[in-house]
Amino acid sequence: MVNVEDLRKEAKRILKEGKVKYVIGYERGQNGLMPKPAFIKDPEDVDRLIWNPTCVHNLTKFLVDEKKRKAGEKKPDERPVGIVVKGCDSRAIIVLLQEKYINREDVHILGISCEQTGVIDEKKLANKLKGKKAENIELDEKGNFVISVQGGTIKVPAEELLAERCLECRANYPVVYDLLLGDKTKKKVEEPFKSLEKMESLSEKERWAFWTEQLAKCIRCYACRSVCPMCYCDECVVDTINFAVTADTTASEKAGKIKWVEKSPVPSENFVYHMVRAMHLAGRCIDCGECERVCPLDIPLRFLNKKLEKEAKELFGYDAGFDPDEPSLVSSFKDEDPEDFIR
Amino acid sequence: MKKKTGVFVCHCGINIAGTVDVKKVAGDLAKHDGVDVSEDYVYMCSDPGQNMIIESIKENKLDNVVVACCSPTLHETTFRNAAKAAGINDFQCEIANIREQCSWVHKDMDKGTAKATKITKSAVEKVRQNEALEPISIPVTRRALVIGGGIAGIQAALDIANTGYEVILVERNPSIGGHMIQLSETFPTLDCSQCILSPKMVEVSKHPKIKLMTYSEVQEISGYVGNFNVKILQKPTYVDPDKCTLCDECTKVCPVVMTNEFDMGLTGRKAIYIPFPQAIPATYALDIRGCPGLVPIACGKCADVCEPEAIDYDMKAEIIEEEVGSIIVATGYDLYEKENLSEYGYGKYTDVLDGLQFERLCSASGPTQGKVLRPSDHKEPKEVVFIQCAGSRDPELHCAYCSKICCMYTAKHAMLYKHHVPDGQAYIFYIDIRSGGKGYEEFVQRAVEEDGVVYLRGKVAKVFEDKGKIKVWGVDTLAGKDIEIDADMVVLATAMRPSEGASELVKKLKIAMDKDGFLAEAHPKLRPVESVTSGMFLAGAAQAPKDIPEAVAQASGAAAKAISILSQERLFHSPMVAKVSLNLCTGCGMCVEVCPYDALSLKDGKVEVNEVLCEGCGTCQATCLRAAINVKNTTPSQVHEMIRASLGG
Amino acid sequence: MAEQFEPRIVAFLCKWCSSAGSDLAGVSRMQYPPNVIPITVMCSGSVSPLYIFDAFNKGADGVLVSGCHPGDCHYIKGNYYARRRIAIVKKLLDFIGLEPERFQMSWVSAAEGKKYTQIISDFVEELKPLGPQTKLRRNI
Repeated sequence: MVNVEDLRKEAKRILKEGKVKYVIGYERGQNGLMPKPAFIKDPEDVDRLIWNPTCVHNLTKFLVDEKKRKAGEKKPDERPVGIVVKGCDSRAIIVLLQEKYINREDVHILGISCEQTGVIDEKKLANKLKGKKAENIELDEKGNFVISVQGGTIKVPAEELLAERCLECRANYPVVYDLLLGDKTKKKVEEPFKSLEKMESLSEKERWAFWTEQLAKCIRCYACRSVCPMCYCDECVVDTINFAVTADTTASEKAGKIKWVEKSPVPSENFVYHMVRAMHLAGRCIDCGECERVCPLDIPLRFLNKKLEKEAKELFGYDAGFDPDEPSLVSSFKDEDPEDFIR
Repeated sequence: MKKKTGVFVCHCGINIAGTVDVKKVAGDLAKHDGVDVSEDYVYMCSDPGQNMIIESIKENKLDNVVVACCSPTLHETTFRNAAKAAGINDFQCEIANIREQCSWVHKDMDKGTAKATKITKSAVEKVRQNEALEPISIPVTRRALVIGGGIAGIQAALDIANTGYEVILVERNPSIGGHMIQLSETFPTLDCSQCILSPKMVEVSKHPKIKLMTYSEVQEISGYVGNFNVKILQKPTYVDPDKCTLCDECTKVCPVVMTNEFDMGLTGRKAIYIPFPQAIPATYALDIRGCPGLVPIACGKCADVCEPEAIDYDMKAEIIEEEVGSIIVATGYDLYEKENLSEYGYGKYTDVLDGLQFERLCSASGPTQGKVLRPSDHKEPKEVVFIQCAGSRDPELHCAYCSKICCMYTAKHAMLYKHHVPDGQAYIFYIDIRSGGKGYEEFVQRAVEEDGVVYLRGKVAKVFEDKGKIKVWGVDTLAGKDIEIDADMVVLATAMRPSEGASELVKKLKIAMDKDGFLAEAHPKLRPVESVTSGMFLAGAAQAPKDIPEAVAQASGAAAKAISILSQERLFHSPMVAKVSLNLCTGCGMCVEVCPYDALSLKDGKVEVNEVLCEGCGTCQATCLRAAINVKNTTPSQVHEMIRASLGG
Repeated sequence: MAEQFEPRIVAFLCKWCSSAGSDLAGVSRMQYPPNVIPITVMCSGSVSPLYIFDAFNKGADGVLVSGCHPGDCHYIKGNYYARRRIAIVKKLLDFIGLEPERFQMSWVSAAEGKKYTQIISDFVEELKPLGPQTKLRRNI
């Protein structure tokens, strides 16, 4: 069992000793049950830190922000940042290390094991609550979530409330950490790509209909991109607004802006945007599910990435986010890579 | 200022104009945005045609030109030179291939014309974003490295050294000579192999421009054409060649008997040995694999008897670094492994030999002093069966390729056997006889007519020992009957395969191999002695099975290619190389991983291009997620515009 | 009578093998349908997924990427990276419901003019019954 006091104790220690600049973790949100990211600088504030099955966010996205902020500072504070990660989030750190975006010494990792469960899906929870307001949620020893609501409790089997990705999780405890809280027993997942089965069994026409309906909704708010720790490019191929013109920028670079995708949120352009994003995440996405969670239109974005994760595993034996020293999916090959699709 | 582009559409007589309405193409292009001049002419590559382009560039102050004509492999250089003559950079000229990729493959005039127009528009879009580039100049280290001291390596080294450039010849065995020095006679002239090779070996050892490094292996290579840095591992022989007087006293006292590689295992040799009498360098080597110990207490007998004190147990391996400008790879061949050919009893029965063993049996310097005797009982074999294609031309079980030289050497073997044992009978099982080559067919005919060799067309099904004989069961497909021969000896024309260790060397050199592991040439027809890596050339059986004259010819070709580099003070490298946009690069290093030439490296968190190593393949460009690395003049922006133009919009 | 649908194909050909192979088809005067516009790139390894999406976005009915056979790459191993990258693109396009026939990859050597001819002819025949590609085509 993870004891949140252990987390607070360690956070307090590293802050007090000046080992880290600040600690990124979870704290109670202002509105309802769901927490929000916490940035704690003062050792006296560590009691704000919480840990429970609602801690869904992948906080590693803030490591990217930290790096960008630091790059702009004249005399940056070179101390590492403390960060609370789940198993999935830790895989994001592995990818960032693999891509040399951050260095291991830039982070002090407070790893938390999800043990045999995971985090909840807010939408699933809302369905169970049927309008009631949840005050607290806990896991009992029989594997049920016990939700306290006004005037009583609701008991729900864990799998009915867990996020889809947690049911398919292959890293239920962190891969990399400085401190690990909780049990290190590997969770058995029989079918890590089960959620794809239904989609894959559809006909090509049905799949097209499905994605047309879904992607037509996209308003191109780019929340998926903003929340993703892997989308750290300074300039996105689909978006040149924040393109930084520096002393190195040549005239041809400025002129050579390519409109691979139009900004208008119409289906054809939305398809290109989401396909490019999926390709750019191939072999990098670690299935934290944040893109799908933050999508205001409920587009099942995770499917796209999950599909390529599955193909990477099945075609090339590649697993993202486990080994920082191996070359990336698309910057490596094996002689025996399949080629039955080639004429 | 808006760039001015000119388009020149060639009729190529009726080669293009026959199926493409060139006037219409030129007319449509004239209306294309940004095209200032669009003309057609019957032969653009002719002098008047080129002059028309040159005059037009000058007169209309054109920035770019597109010539719509034949494949760029033919006249790209012609027209780029014309552009240069007119005062613009050669890279401001692009070719639209409307002949090979259009007029010659389509008959429908309307459709062909529409396609030619799109191809030309696509080239216009590309050329408008081309950068003016100048070739990258690099200095040249005017020395060569030859890897492998067989006939090919020897020939290449001598050819280069004779033009006055220094050569380093590296051989991994204690002596040069390769497989050729093991042969008894050579086809089709039957002249003695050692007699024709040993003078060349001596020449190598005496040549002032050749630095011979035997018992040495290339360990590491870095750099690029004109400027390679090579690390060579020189293994210790434990014998100082300058002191050794070749008295042979050491081998008399050495207690260790090992397999004699020179005799293909038919005899033994001592742990301290000279590979063969004519070895170059003429000196002994101590084979550490068999020597009981370099500690004198363990044995030390050889050092005790060595009067000139040439034996030094403390000799250490050394790594020697050399700078060279070009490299010739002549690593030769080995025979297909015994264990793969158990169906012929190879490796199982003493009297089933491979071709090289039979060469040793026939050789005057061989284990039997040139008498053909069975290894098992030293009796003269009266019936000998030769089996061709042992491991070759058998895609199901063995090698798919033809080993090329076996038909000829088997004929030679049968003939030599008959010369040694006139009352014996030679049988040859064959699939077909491939005797293309000067004097080769006549040679095979001689074997049949003068020496009574029996050729049996068919495969051998089984070879097994029975009452002191080797039974060979086969089938004669011409007569349509089964054949059973009680042979005294069986000789296999074993397949050739790339020499051991070639695949590791290929990785160090960053050259390519074909599917069978032979070294890959840059172009099967037009660049047969060049590897895919510039500055590295191929010679001999390392590239494909070949006989001596072919190996020698290729070696001289490779030498000429190497000299063409060494004879220049500076080389010029294509400037179409990768360029990094530093502001976009995040230093993830994925491009560094994919670069086939190690041209990219990370420095201060950003990627840096070594322009001399970069060949401009663009694999980095497709790998980079941030569009931070692009090959000059084939940028994504250009491809994007070409796609648009190709689709007509 | 309505005109027969003629698919528009963009073919990314590597310079050293496939483009040379298509040149050979020309030299040998082999005939194939004029529906394909070749874009010669240095290596199949340089074909970015963006090019493929872009071609469909600009209205291509079919896209072909063709490179040297494994082991024959002029740049030693560019085609191996291409093979992996293109495999992923193909899976993705298939997953979103684009007809799999619309995106092809082939190995065509400089000696395989005949093979190139066959690939283009087959490609055109396979695309004809599908009609125009409108799924990913820019529509603003």
